[in-house]
Formats: sequence, structure tokens, C-alpha cells
Amino acid sequence: MQFDSLDFALFLPVVFLLYWFVFQRNLKAQNFFIVIASYLFYGWWDWRFLSLILFSTVLDYSIGVFLEKLVDPLKRKRLLYVSLAINLGFLGVFKYFNFFLESFVDGFALFGYHPTVSSLEIILPVGISFYTFQSLSYTIDIYKRKLTATKDFVAFTAFVCFFPQLVAGPIERAANLLPQFYTPRRFDYHQAVDGLRQILWGLFKKVVIADNCAEYANLIFNNSADESGSTLFLGAVFFTFQIYGDFSGYSDIAIGTSRLFGFHLMRNFSFPYFSRDIAEFWRRWHISLSTWFRDYLYIPLGGSKGGKWMKVRNTFIIFLVSGFWHGANWTFVAWGALNALYFLPLLLLDRNRSNLDTVAQGRLFPDARELFSMLLTFGMTVLAWIFFRADSLKQAFSIIGEILSPSSFSIPQFDGRQGAAFVLLGVAIFMTIEWLGRERSFAIHQIGLNWSKPLRWGFYTALALAVFLFSGKEQQFIYFQF
Amino acid sequence: MKRFLFQTSLFLLLILVGLYGVLMQADGFTDPYYIRFTTSRQSSLIVGNSRAAQGVQPAILNRCLGRSDFFNYAFTLGHSPYGPVYLESINRKLDKGTTDGRFIVTVDPWSICTKGKNPNDTTQFAEKNRLLGKLKYVNLNPNFFYLTENFERPLVSLLRHNPNNITFLHEDGWLEVSPPKMDSAAVAERTSEKILDYEKSNLPFFKYSEARVNSLKQIIQALSAHGKVYLVRLPVYADMLVLEDRLMPDFERRMSQLALKNQIPYLSFVQTGDSCVFTDGNHLYKESGAKVTKRIASWMLENDK
Repeated sequence: MQFDSLDFALFLPVVFLLYWFVFQRNLKAQNFFIVIASYLFYGWWDWRFLSLILFSTVLDYSIGVFLEKLVDPLKRKRLLYVSLAINLGFLGVFKYFNFFLESFVDGFALFGYHPTVSSLEIILPVGISFYTFQSLSYTIDIYKRKLTATKDFVAFTAFVCFFPQLVAGPIERAANLLPQFYTPRRFDYHQAVDGLRQILWGLFKKVVIADNCAEYANLIFNNSADESGSTLFLGAVFFTFQIYGDFSGYSDIAIGTSRLFGFHLMRNFSFPYFSRDIAEFWRRWHISLSTWFRDYLYIPLGGSKGGKWMKVRNTFIIFLVSGFWHGANWTFVAWGALNALYFLPLLLLDRNRSNLDTVAQGRLFPDARELFSMLLTFGMTVLAWIFFRADSLKQAFSIIGEILSPSSFSIPQFDGRQGAAFVLLGVAIFMTIEWLGRERSFAIHQIGLNWSKPLRWGFYTALALAVFLFSGKEQQFIYFQF
Repeated sequence: MKRFLFQTSLFLLLILVGLYGVLMQADGFTDPYYIRFTTSRQSSLIVGNSRAAQGVQPAILNRCLGRSDFFNYAFTLGHSPYGPVYLESINRKLDKGTTDGRFIVTVDPWSICTKGKNPNDTTQFAEKNRLLGKLKYVNLNPNFFYLTENFERPLVSLLRHNPNNITFLHEDGWLEVSPPKMDSAAVAERTSEKILDYEKSNLPFFKYSEARVNSLKQIIQALSAHGKVYLVRLPVYADMLVLEDRLMPDFERRMSQLALKNQIPYLSFVQTGDSCVFTDGNHLYKESGAKVTKRIASWMLENDK
């Protein structure tokens, strides 16, 4: 079930009403109802893969209980490895099997051998990367004695499959989300209204910004061989806003929906395109994944403690793994590597933590230096997204080559330029609202609180109508495939 | 909670009212299909593909036959070839209480053939994932489901008419097409393009489908239960007819047999293409469409005697 579908528009109010009016008095029943609703939500896409989620849930719950009881460090470590092997094994089979097979064949072909192997027709279960990582964080935290294992199987199941964030995050930590299933939730008017506001903004980002940008990004990338440098650059810009609107929009809807049910999820995006350097960008983009890698990979690898070269090595590992997490294609690995290269100078000069605050805090406009830094960082990310969007490394390099050619100085030529200009205008208005709200948890969080009621209602109604009237062709959320 | 529910309901109501106002702006200029899904269930239908959609005019049939209920429910070869999807959609559109309906079922070789490896595997029929396959509600005004899930452009486009639009879909389902140029050179150019397109993109890939013919039979039987059914093959340009003869040389015989078996009359315009004007060799121009419709009406009257 997609958040921007009619199915979800009917599903959400029904679940909301049953949750607060029928199951409110009994916490266990309420949690059980969340499980049922979440399985229905996921099963709507493909019920066969529910068994996979259930298996992961039972496995990690059981391993958690045993890890808690065991004292012998060796046995505990083995048990953790079992959890890692099975969880990552599923991920490997469903997501990476064919990739490794093809890479293996390609590798042999370089030496003149052409082994005959047949790939498997595997359907990638939606959200497998997200719930696998979420579930893993639980067992790792128990192994590290940072968390005690839960005895409440229903609460744990609800934690693994909680529908707002099941298929595309934010990737929650057990320490944050699981305790919320133990305590009774009370309906809070302000929290619920905030939730609705965030859902509305998320829908706007997804349906109006991302889906409209997608139309032109697809048009240009699908004909990349025939397009000029300037058109290709424009295509990359469209994709840059598409992926932001798509993914941060999804996160906003997920967080907003959770608030309707009395839950607090972690923030996943913090206005990344206003970053002044790439380190700041990565503190603001897909925060739940970046911090996951920081806590469960970067720090265990030694983090920043082992000297400069250790830091460089670990940073490269993090970015490469992060790229690979996104998809079984060398383009994602290249995207990760390019970001690591971007990061490198900051790391070597110890300037990776120089922009920890919000840009132009307390001011309406940035100064010239801030503006330049933002534009430079934005340009670098646009370039990197080309790898992310391209079908192959060859296509990515060919696009970049064309962008760096004199054809970039021509006026972009492609079908539907007028429509594209309107979309860019929409993006400009959108980014202005984002800029004005950049010190909040989401752009329209505080908008209109001091306005008169009719004006405030008018604004939200106009925004909601815009979601219907300006929606682009429906596209699946990009991050579903990860 | 009460306050929240009240305010949320009020907010949703405001949005629905605003949206309703916009959706009601949709009309015959909106696109070539929408209006057909906004009327109530119908008692007399014209079914087929785009040839029938543009070529058979319900208003003329009504005038000639003294009725007022003809409705054109024909779409395109891509959307409404004969098959389970079209059968289901026709069932949704048909007023089940009808006992004296008139139904014109138009046929041509393309509409009982299909692309694909196995022409009888209905699960592979392309229309399944298109408009009629997806749209479950065909009698709503405004049709929220059509406009939100099948309309190709943003809804805001309903608020302004495209001045270059050459199509207008009438309330009775007739699709009026007015190409800006109808001089012989422009028509010849469009015709040669269309013929070439059919020759290259359709002819080599289309295969006769027993499954489609079965659906056609089911449609005839379903409609026969509510009135009289008339089987019609509309005229096409000579070069298109050549292609159709190459695709199915025995089409005329098959249709005559089908009509005989189902005890319905069959009228073929296969020999009259030369006297008609087409917009592109495939679709009748509106004036020729009017003439052909009149001839169909006279033939129906004769058969009703």
C-alpha cells in the first residue's frame, strides 16, 4: 500500500478510529491491532513476504532472549553471528544474489573465461533493507548490553513491522521505539494536528514535487544519449529534487502518521540541500541510515580513534557500504565512493564538523560565503545523483562527459520544456518554503500559528488542494526498491 | 479527540468541496474517454474500438430510430478490443433493467486478434492494465476514480481548455474529431502514416485469438438478453482493408457465421470504403460518419420490420 494511494486514504482513518476507540483500553490489544494493521498494510503489496518478516521477528526475538540470558562471551558472539548471518543472508539472497552472480561472470570474462550460469528470477521484498537493519540494531544492542531483551513478543512484533515506517524507514532503534510500545499512549490533540500537518507536507513533497520532477528526469535520463549537456544537467537537477521530495516526503508521512498513533519516530531529513559542505549534507540526509552506519559499522571499525588513515579507511568503508545498501548495482557503489571522495578533504583538514548549526540561523538571508558554500555543495550532490539515477556506470560517465562539454552552454531542448519550466517554478516556491522553515523539524511545522484562523485554514486547504490538482503521474516511492 | 475529529472532518469537507468544484469542470474537452464514465447506466450501446467511437453517432441513430437512449461506449483498439476486460466494463455500463435496448457491436479483424506469444492467454491481454481494466466505477459524476487514477494530466488542467484540442467527447459518448487540416494532401499524409504504422507495428505481431472471439460471443449474448444486437463492420480506406485481408482473409465468413449462429443481423461496409472520407484511413471523418450512421439506422429499421 502506497502512502499516496486511495487505499491508504481509506486504511488510515479506519485504523485510527479502531485504534483510539476500540482498542484504547488495553495496551496489549492495541499493540496486537498495530501488528494486524501493519501486516495488512504490507500484505496489500505481496502477502507472501509476510512470512519473511514474521521469520525475522521470531528469530530476533528468540536470539534477543538468549543473548540476555547467556553469560559466556563466546556463545554470545556466536549467537549474534547467527542473527547477522540469517538477517544479512536474506538480504543477500533477495537483493544481491544476481548482482554477485553477474559480477562474477563479468570478472571471469575479463580473463577470457565465460562461465555459463543462470540468474534467478527473484522479487525483491519491499522494505527488506529497512526492517532488516531495524531488527539487527535490536540484537546488536542487546549483545552490547545497551538494551535489555523484551519479553513482550507482541510489542517486539509491532516494533519490527510498525506500518508507518516498515517499508522505507526511518530505520528506528529499538532503544527509541520499542519502549513506546510498553507504555500506554494517550491521544494528544497538538501532537495529532502536528502529525497531520507533517503528512500534508510529505504528500505535497511526494505528489507535487517528486512526481512532477520524475516526469522530466525520466524523460531526459531515458534519452540521455541524444541530449545536450545543458539538458542532461537539468535532468540531474530534476532528479535531485525528485529524490529529495520522494524520500523526505515519505519520511514526513511516516513520522506524521506515527504521531497520529501517539508515537515519536526519529527525524530522517533536515533540509539537506541547504548544507554548506558535504559532511553537513550527510548529517542532514537519511539521518536514520547514516547514524545506523555510524553506530554499528563506523564505531566498531575503530571510528575516528585510530589516526587519520584509519578515519579515511573507515569513511570509505561506510560510504561504499551505504552505496551498496541502496542497490545491487555498481552505480550505487560509485555514488558512495564519490561521496567519500567529497568527504575526504574535510576529513583530512579536520573540517568535517565545522557546520553543525543551521545555515543563516536567525536571519532571513545567508551571507555571500554561505550562499557560495551551499551552491557548491548542491552542485556536488547533483553530480553525485547522476550515478544514483543512471542505469549503468557507462551511462553515468557519458552523461557527466556531456555535461562537461561545450553543449552545456546551449539552451536545453526537449519535449515539454514549458511544462518543465512550470515544475521548476514549483520547485522554487517549494524551496523558498523549505528555507523559511529550515529551523523547524519540517518546513511548515510552525507556519501560520500566528495567523488568523481563516488564513491558516485557507493555507492548509490550498496546500491540500494543490496535492490533488498539481499531482504528477503516480510513481512508486524510489526507496521502496531498497 | 472530539475537537480533532470535528476539525479534521471540516477540513476534509473543505477539500472535498473545492475538489468537487474543480472536477465538475471536466467536460468533453477533458480527454477522449472521461465523459463516458460520468453518465448513468445505459440501455442502448455502441461498442467497439476507435472506429466506432468516432464513426457511429448516437444522436443520428436516435433521430432516425425515434429513440433517445443510444450511447457510444467504444474506446480504442488498445483499450477495448474484445476480451474479458471489455465484457466486464460493458456489464458495468449496461442498465440491467433494459428489455428493449438496441446494441451495435462493431467488429474488425484487429479487435479479435492480439499481440503476444499466446493469443489465448487472457492474463496477458494488454488492456488488463489499462483504463478499462483498472476502472471499476464507470457511472459516477464526477468520476473521482477516473480523474485521480487514470487521468493523464494534473487535475489543474481541468480548469483551462486547451485551444489546440481537436477532439470533443459528446455527452452521448460520440468522439468528434476535427483535424485542423482536412485537405487531400494532409489526409493522404496521415493515411500513409497510419497504414505504415499498422503494417510495421501491428500486422506482423497480431494473431487471431479464439479467446477474444469467445468474449465477443459473450458480449453478444449478454446484450441480446436486453434487446436486439446488430453486428457491423465499419468502412475503412482501401489500403487498410488490404492489411486486414492479410491479417484475416476469412474475416467476413467468420462474422457471417457468428451472426447466423447468434441469430443477429450483420452489415459489412467492406465494399463501401471508397465513398467515405477518413481522417487517417482508419477513422471516418465526421461527415462520412454521419452518412454511415444513417445507413446503419435504415438497415436496423429494415431488420426490425
